[in-house]
Parts: sequence; C-alpha cells; structure tokens
Amino acid sequence: MTSYALIPRNSLVWLLTAQVVALAPHLPRLPVWVAALWLGCALWRVQIQRMRWPYPGFLVRVLALVLVTTGVFLVQGTLIGLDAAVMLLLMLFMLKLLEMRKPRDALVVIYLGFFIVAAAFLFDQGIPLALFQCFSLLVLVAALVGLQQTPGRNDPARAMRTGGILLMQAVPLMVVLFVLFPRLGPLWSVNAPGNQARTGLAESMAPADVAELARSGELAFRAAFDDAVPAQPQLYWRAMTLSRFDGRTWSRSRFTTAAAPPEWQPRGEPIGYRVIAPASNQPWVFSLRGASTEDERLLLTGDFVLQARQPLGRAISYVASSRMDSLLQPQELDPLQERVNLQLPEGSDPRSRAFAAQLRQSHPEDADLVLALLGHFNREPFHYTLRPTPLGLHSNDEFLFDSRRGFCAHFAGAMTFVLRAAGIPARVVAGYQGGEINPRGNYVLVHQFDAHAWVEAWLPGQGWVSVDPTFQVAPERIERGLQDALSEEGSFLENSPLAAARYRDIGWLNNTRLFWDDLNYQWQLRVLGYQSERQLEFFRRWLGTADWQRIGLISLGVLLLFMLPMALWILRPARQPRDPQQRAWQTLNRRLARLQLQAKTGEGPRHWQQRLEQILPGQKAELAAFFAEYIRLSYATAPAAATPAATQLNLALRNLLRVLPRTRPRRSITSLDLPG
Amino acid sequence: MKDVLSNATDAINQVLLGKQHAVKLAVACILARGHLLIEDLPGMGKTTLSQALARVMGLSYQRIQFTSDLLPGDILGTSVFDRDSGGFVFHPGPIFAELVLADEINRATPKSQSALLEAMEEGQVTVDGATRPLPEPFFVIATQNPASQGGTFALPESQLDRFLMRLSLGYPTPAAEKTLLLGGTGRARLDDLKPVLTRAQLQALQAAVPQVTASEAIIDYILRLVTRTRESHLCAWGLSPRGSLGLLAAARAWAMLEHRAYVIPEDVQAVLPAVVSHRLRASEDPAGHGGGSLAQRLLNEVPAV
Repeated sequence: MTSYALIPRNSLVWLLTAQVVALAPHLPRLPVWVAALWLGCALWRVQIQRMRWPYPGFLVRVLALVLVTTGVFLVQGTLIGLDAAVMLLLMLFMLKLLEMRKPRDALVVIYLGFFIVAAAFLFDQGIPLALFQCFSLLVLVAALVGLQQTPGRNDPARAMRTGGILLMQAVPLMVVLFVLFPRLGPLWSVNAPGNQARTGLAESMAPADVAELARSGELAFRAAFDDAVPAQPQLYWRAMTLSRFDGRTWSRSRFTTAAAPPEWQPRGEPIGYRVIAPASNQPWVFSLRGASTEDERLLLTGDFVLQARQPLGRAISYVASSRMDSLLQPQELDPLQERVNLQLPEGSDPRSRAFAAQLRQSHPEDADLVLALLGHFNREPFHYTLRPTPLGLHSNDEFLFDSRRGFCAHFAGAMTFVLRAAGIPARVVAGYQGGEINPRGNYVLVHQFDAHAWVEAWLPGQGWVSVDPTFQVAPERIERGLQDALSEEGSFLENSPLAAARYRDIGWLNNTRLFWDDLNYQWQLRVLGYQSERQLEFFRRWLGTADWQRIGLISLGVLLLFMLPMALWILRPARQPRDPQQRAWQTLNRRLARLQLQAKTGEGPRHWQQRLEQILPGQKAELAAFFAEYIRLSYATAPAAATPAATQLNLALRNLLRVLPRTRPRRSITSLDLPG
Repeated sequence: MKDVLSNATDAINQVLLGKQHAVKLAVACILARGHLLIEDLPGMGKTTLSQALARVMGLSYQRIQFTSDLLPGDILGTSVFDRDSGGFVFHPGPIFAELVLADEINRATPKSQSALLEAMEEGQVTVDGATRPLPEPFFVIATQNPASQGGTFALPESQLDRFLMRLSLGYPTPAAEKTLLLGGTGRARLDDLKPVLTRAQLQALQAAVPQVTASEAIIDYILRLVTRTRESHLCAWGLSPRGSLGLLAAARAWAMLEHRAYVIPEDVQAVLPAVVSHRLRASEDPAGHGGGSLAQRLLNEVPAV
C-alpha cells in the first residue's frame, strides 16, 4: 500500500512554495549559487514527478553531499560554527527534495522548514523579518494541510484558511508561553554570526575611521530617560577612552581599563536612563559621565566607562544612572596612570611640542592652560569639515598650524597631544554626542554619524575634566547636531542618498521615520528585550513574586484557565436535541453503532429501516414498530401543529433496545456494507 | 381516487415498458402542476411517453414539431384577414391545448423557444396586442435531444428552470426490449389507450397535492439540500427558491403516488435528481451538461435525518 502512496502533484507544489518562502530570508546572506542549487533541485524534482528523470542514485547523492559541504567550506572557511551550520542545513534542506519519495519525506521537509524559519532569527530580529516569518509559518502550516488533501481535490485557498485558523488558535498559547516561559540560558554557547561587518566604534581612532562613521546613518543605540531629556550639549555618551598614541592613531591602553574602579565623588542629581543597543560584537556600551549601574552584565572600568563583560552578540538593554557633576578621581593619579596619560611618541610633532612649552610658560596653572588652549581653538581660523586636507608625517603639527581643517577626531587628538606635551595628563574620549529626540517615544536616537571624540584632562583637586575643542570651533555641532554643522558643506550623509535621516526637513517623511523607529524601539524594548531580567520584573510587578515555584503554579493555573474551557468545549456531550423523536433516534443509533451499524449520511429513515431489517431479521417487528412511530412523529405532523406526545415512540424504542443483540450477527457481515 | 392514479401509471407502463420510475416521475410532475422536459437520444420513447401521458390524463392534446425554421406565429397562432367580416380573425395556434407536446424543442431557434416558454410561465399568450388566456390546466411536455447532438440550440438556464423536472429515459432493459421486439407494445398500443382520468379528477388530484403534509423535519431537510448547493464549491451556482418550491411540490406529489398523506425523506430523494439536475452545474463543467452527479452527491452527503 505504502509503495503506491507517492507524493501527489499538488503536494509538490505546496512543498516547493513552502521551501521558497522558508529559504527567502536566508538567500540575501548567501552566494548566488545557493539559489541556483535550489532551482536545480526543484527542476529535478519536477522532472521526477513528470517521470522524465529518475531519482538520483546513491553515488549522485553522495557526490552532491560532498560538493555541497565543500561549497560551504569554501564560502565560510569552516564547517563549524553558526554560519556554516545554518548554511549546511539550508543546503541539505534543498537536497532533501531529491530523495523525497513518500509523503513521510514530505513531512520531513516541512518540519525542516519550521527549523529554518527559526534559524533566520539568529541573524536578524527586526520587525519586517518577524512579520515575514509569520507569513512563512502560515505557508508551512498550509502546506501541511495541503499534503493531507486528497489528490485532485486540492484547494489552496482552503488550505491557507485552515492554516490561518490553526495559527490563530495557537496565538493565546504563544502569548502565555512568551510571558511565562523561563528564559533559560543557552545549553551550549553559540557564537553570534560573525561574518557581518558592523559599523561602530573601533578600538582605536584614526581620523579616517571617525569620518567613516560620520557617513553612516545607521542606528548606534537608543536611550530613554526616566525624566526629561537633558539638553543636547550635555549628551556626551562615553564609550571608551583612548590613551595610547603612536603618532597617527589613538588607541585603548590596557592600563587605564583595569577593572578596579578608582575612587570618585558622586555629585549632582542622578539622571536615570535605559539604553538599548543593537548587537555589535564589541563590548562597548554607552553611558553619560559619572555613570553607575546595577546591571551584572556591565562593569565600570578604571577610566569611568561602562563596559560589557561579554561582547554584545545580541541586542542589550540596560539601566544606568549618571551624576554628571561628579568628581572623577580627584585626589591623585597613580604613577602608572600618570605615565600612560602623558605618553607621547618619540620625536613626533616638534612644532606642537614647542607650542605646548610656550603655553606652559605663560600659564603655570594647569586649569589656565587648558582654558588658554581652548581659547586658541576658538580664536584661530579652524574650520569644521568632514573633508579635511590629508595630513603627513607630523599630523598634529600640520593640522594645528597648516591646514586647520578637520573634525572632532583631529581637534581632540591635537588638544590631547598639546596638553600632554605641556605635562597635563590627558586622554581622548570616544563615544557619541547628542542624538535625536523622538517625541513619540520620548527617547533619544543616536546614530553612527553622532560619533564624537573629545578630551579629558586631569587637574589636581578636580580629577578628570571633560573639555571639547570641537565646541570651540563648531558649537552648532554640539548644540544642534552634525547636519547643521555641515549644512554649508553639504557633506552630511553624502554617500547614502537613501538614508532616511538625510531628509529630516521633509515633514511627513521625518514623521514616518520617527514612527518606524519608535515601533522598532518598542519592539526592542518589549519583545526582544523581554529577557530574564525584565521577565522577573514583570513577575514581581504583576504576580507579586519572582519565586519560580509560585510562578510555575501560576502559569499552570493560567494554562488551565485557557485549556479547561477548550477541553470542555471539545469534550462536550453531543447536543441533546429538543424533540423527543430526535433523542430517541440518537439513542438508537448510538446503540446500533456498538454493533458496527451506522446510517449513511444521506440515508432516509425508511431505507435505513429496510437495511436494518435485512441485517437483523430477528428484530424485524420491533424495528418496524419503532420506525413507523418515528416517521409518524417526525413527518406526519404539519409544521404548525402541536408536537404529539412521544410515549409510543419511547415505548417502541425500549422494546427495540431490549431485543437488540449484543454483537452483530456474523452471517451477514460481508454482504451488508455494500451500498444498497 | 388513489386507484385511479395506479391505473393511470399502469396504463402508461403497458405502452412504455420497463420505465416504471420515469413514468411515475412524469405523473408526479403533472400532479405537481409542473412542466416536464424529457431529454434523451432519438428513438428512446420520449414521444411515446408524452403521448401516452396525454391520452391517459384525458386532456386535449396538441403536438408541435420544433424545427429550425419554426416561427413564433406557428406556435401561438396568427391573425388572418377575413373577407366576410371585413376584419382580422385570430386563428389560434397549437399552443391552445391543455397538453402541448413540444417535440425536439432544442432544434428551434431561441426566438421560437421563448414564445413557448413565455406561455409556460404566464399561462397566457399575447398576439397582436391582445392577451389570450390559455386553457386550464395547461401543461407542456417538451422533448429534446442531448445538447451534444448536431443542430441543436441549447436551452438557457433561465428557461430550463421553468421545467419542474427533467427526465431521461435511458435504454430499456433487455427483457423489456425483447417484449418490444416480439411486438404487441409501443406505438401500436398507443392508439388503444383509453383515458383513465377525467379532467375534473385530475384537477381534484392536483388540488390535493398541496394538502400532503410536509413536516418541519422535511422542510429542514430540503433547506439543508438547497443550502448545500449554494455553499458547496462544487456547484457553479445554487438552487433558486423556485427550485426548492418545485422540490417540495414534486416530493408531495410523489408521496401521494406512494399513497401516503405525508412526505418522508425518501420521497424527496426519489424526485431530487429529476428536479435539480437541470438546475445545477458543476463548477468544473463549463459546458454544463447537467448536474446529474451533483444530485447524486447531494443525496449521499446531506444528512437525511
């Protein structure tokens, strides 16, 4: 029997459709030959269906496996790891078409499809993908339904409808599980997909890198404040400090990032905020000056920067609070830190060093010197531009005294250099400045082009003080953002003509962009960000407890609350009809069903009676009495007339039930089921 | 009264051998005041059946042979100038009879067909601006060849719907055909048929049909059947209310022929194929050769109780 149960044509159409839909989100990440492979497999399978081509033999299949594995190895460079594993899975999913003989194999393909739908979320968790995957689920379920339809009587619309109804029925359960199911840590550690280059801060700062960032309209992170959003010039988002200078590039120093948080004196009103940052595969997180957090995934490093303990393999959401007027390390700098923050490469930038010495002479006080240097930036004809003149060997010299054109990285680097040369410990702080307030969600939207670098100088008694030479040159950059600072030059996002942030001046477009971003923000916060921490918070708030035992009991209760009515509905007894003759009819038929006797759907009472009389000749008289009474009651009464009493009928029924045999008489079994 | 009905069907059965069911349906159709369409291949006894019906029922009888050049005037009648009276005098056409046999109706053009079909619906004809009532009772028995035959103009759905039943006779059984070949039946005996019913008797019987009890249970069954045709994706369209009324009337007539004063589901099932199959069309059948299989599915799939 099974050998004849081949996959019917309509099922194949369903399978191919489901495969395309399940594969679609993966294809853009993969080389083109993957799509070609699918087309090849599909064509072969169709030709098999048309009996043009045979099923591939053992050798061909082994060859295909080897080729595919080699292909994955060539593309990914490995067979181990998430990217390679998912790619291999996709390939095998396609190849499965070629050994799909029986309906069971088709089921395997569909189940694999579900797995592949889930796998897409390893790479992207955005709203568009989530919506598309809902559609994929619908198609897969519809394909499952379609596989069960009889060949020749397939109806795609009906399969879709049934699939949709099934999915809708699953929604309440999904919501309950989403809210209540414990967020277990992964059983084994899966490295986040790594092959995608992400824009973002790097561990070192060469001016060109910052310029690169300033051209990106991508989102860096979002921050929601508990109270009012501070003024733009206060939003200096610290990501890291850069203390090492090799003559060209500022980079992090291992010494300053020592995990021991040095002493500091909190001052000023605490500002609470929540930051939601997308996955970056970097440990940088973003905080305002004087930050502290209770989040265990973060730590405060020696340079007063919050940092994640693990690189951010996926989006993170954390709460921090900042006291912006705090004194950071006011007492003293230990010798090692002092050395690190005064370090300069041998022999570079002689003119800058001379300038520092000159400043030192006129300003013996450190604080005066810093102010004088800022004044220098303010006074001299420096120009803020994203198209600086290329700099040569002594980059700081050329910048400070020749070109005088540059952006934050140049200004911060040069100022730090001069300060150090004058004997004041200083370092570059890299991060983001400002951000766009989304009035819809009352949060700040920080883009990559908000990347910024400024200076931190250590003054005795005051500790680390932040100063920003860029503010002296281009205050509009700090007060209103990059776009205004570049309005003359027109270089804002000049390489991404489609970046939505470019078109802030177009009202409706901007509103749409902000709305979409708010939607994404809420999605990040409430759906993706609903991890163990927020789950516990939710439990504490709504259930009054975070005790897993009690939560388990409560979930069980909720589940029962859902399931019990459903179970009662499904298991409800067959509805008792109102008229007595229908009740008697059902009683009789239930009793007859035990003898494997069942009226056909379209069988009228008279025909049923005749058939029964043949099967049960011994009970002919009782049968006739019952049916005569039944027909009289059901059909001989005009619609308007009063319903006659059913005493006779019930009597006839009792008589009939009494004489019916316990088992079906054997003699007639073979001949009876033939349609009469 | 009931014996009269049995006698009538018996008499026809003597002429048309081995077609008891079709004959009974035809009689039921007349009792339910419905027009009858008999569709079958040439030579299957369509005309014999209709002539036998007319004779047995004791009705005045006219036969119109439909051909492709038949004009409406040939059916309804024409006004002719009369020299004596100096005016036009209406000469009634063959339609002015109690029972009209429209033979091979689908060989005529749609124009002539509709002249007949209008008369069927209205019970009157309008010629030269004057409306003339048709006799009472008035029946049309039409015969037609299957649409696949050459030289036919298929009746549109709107006109098919006016026939209460469509019957198909089918080949006779070998036994019946043997008797036929041995002689002694068929056309020869048609002439010997005597009217079994009088006009008054027929009208009394017809008046008694609506008195047959149709209980709520049976009305519900008919509703289930009709609803199924309207909701099923197999049917291109569902039954009209005229169809459900016709189904009930035919089932009542059938119950009467079964000598019963109430309708049971088996009565509905007996008349259902004849009443609905020409009103339905399968979705997958654009040519529309009838819904015979649809009727069968209705019988099998709609719960009778």
